[in-house]
Amino acid sequence: MPEKVNVALAQISCKVGDKKHNINVMKNNIKRAKEKGANLVIFPELSLTGYLNRDLAYELAEPIPGSSIYSLEETAKKENIYIVFGMPEQSEKAHAVLYNTAVLLGPDGLIGKYRKMHLPTHSVFEEKRYFRLGYEAPVFETEIGKMGLTICYDMFFPEISRLLRLKGSQLIVCISASPAVRSRFFEVFTAARALENTVFLAYVNLVGVENGLQFWGGSRIIAPDGSILAKANYDEEDLVIGTIDYADLERAEAFVPTLRDLRPELFNSLREQAEKL
Amino acid sequence: MKLTSDVLKLDLPSVENRIKRFVKDYVEKCGADGVVLGASGGLDSSATAALASLSLGGHKVLGIAMPEEETYDVTDIQHAKLLAKKFDFNLQIVDISSTLKACFQSLPIYDVADKLSKGNVKARIRMVYLYYYANKLNRLVCGASDKSEIMVGYFTKWGDGAADISPIMDLYKTQVRQLALHIGVPAEIVAKPPSPRLWPNQLAEKELGIKYETLDLILFGLEHFMKSKEIAEQLKLPIKLVEDVKRRWLVTEHKRRLPLTTKLGYRTIGKDFRLPHKPY
Repeated sequence: MPEKVNVALAQISCKVGDKKHNINVMKNNIKRAKEKGANLVIFPELSLTGYLNRDLAYELAEPIPGSSIYSLEETAKKENIYIVFGMPEQSEKAHAVLYNTAVLLGPDGLIGKYRKMHLPTHSVFEEKRYFRLGYEAPVFETEIGKMGLTICYDMFFPEISRLLRLKGSQLIVCISASPAVRSRFFEVFTAARALENTVFLAYVNLVGVENGLQFWGGSRIIAPDGSILAKANYDEEDLVIGTIDYADLERAEAFVPTLRDLRPELFNSLREQAEKL
Repeated sequence: MKLTSDVLKLDLPSVENRIKRFVKDYVEKCGADGVVLGASGGLDSSATAALASLSLGGHKVLGIAMPEEETYDVTDIQHAKLLAKKFDFNLQIVDISSTLKACFQSLPIYDVADKLSKGNVKARIRMVYLYYYANKLNRLVCGASDKSEIMVGYFTKWGDGAADISPIMDLYKTQVRQLALHIGVPAEIVAKPPSPRLWPNQLAEKELGIKYETLDLILFGLEHFMKSKEIAEQLKLPIKLVEDVKRRWLVTEHKRRLPLTTKLGYRTIGKDFRLPHKPY
């Protein structure tokens, strides 16, 4: 495994409901990222379809693997690159059961997926109306490091990032579709999740306007000490590459040893209290 | 939360950019050649016209001033002209007096003393003119309603409330004033007392019975789930005044929605038919 990995933040704008267009945009960005030396390219939440699909989600969702995965697998193989993107996933067993899913592809094809565990259903968000909750937070061992995936609102909950870190993640990827009024939340949460777990965190947000919502971009790579290694522009499409050096993990763990100082006995108490809320 | 005028302060460059981006994006996605809007010479329509021009370029903005005999005010026309010149958009002046006269004459139950029903016709005739221009010129109708007026239902249903986009509808009146000054709308327009011009000497604050500075803080509190009692105590207002504003907000929800129907089918328009705006 290389010590240093080049991560491309592909901050794109999507056409709602137009998978063909969005796949073309993704392929174009993958090619450009590869030319710039990227090992991994990350796209926003639901980048296959756009975010606000509403009832169209039922016809846009695909099983995994499915035709869009096959199409992007070809690109991953051809460019010898890792890709993370978002899509509405259709259950194989019950076709109207959908998940908001992040997919990881590699040079050998599909590696795995993560189904969003925290679905926002408040304010302008209506995800529980369409999606089923995910129940697993897998960590993927790849040639470019151990990686865990999260999606947007998951950042508000420290448990999932912690779980991924305890399972061995060196890099946590968060794909997002966050509207502008929430930028200050994500700027804080992404830094906090990286720092409290001494882990690299790559956050990629959507840009563009959907249904009057303006997505703010501001994608970033955060080092285990909380510093920002790379940052995309706000409010416009951008492709930014940052280099992560896994050797920094050990230095960060020694400097602020949050993993050493964890108090596992608190977790039972957390569960008890959360159930009684 | 402390309800003071500070809560209504805006990050003006950011808000300006977001509105400009929203207008440009939607007009482009619709394949429209620009927007038409009512150019009354008042604050809201001037701020909207200025933002649209800054967003799209003045050549894609057409302001229509629609004076009529009863409420004619030469200052309004002067202000509309001043703004069009400053923001470099086209302005047409269309007198709607004869249309209104013909409309009233053809109404079998027309009642000259019922100024509200009569006034609403004026707002709706203006809407008809705007949509004619929009259809004819492949443009969108750009509304100029603000959040204060929409929340308390101080607009004509399917009249000035009818539009394809309403760029300033998430800003309270006092916030529109801040933004208008920031983008360069002349101060004399910003300072003018708001009026829908539905009948002579009609003034919004007099009719509403409250100053916008107070109304906006009450509405801001309601928006943020504050209880009437708390709002009244903080603003040192009679609870009845706050309750009256809250009641106006709640009873006018019908003006902000599609027509109500009863559910009969599998998916019903306005209820559980949920589609994205302009998916392609």
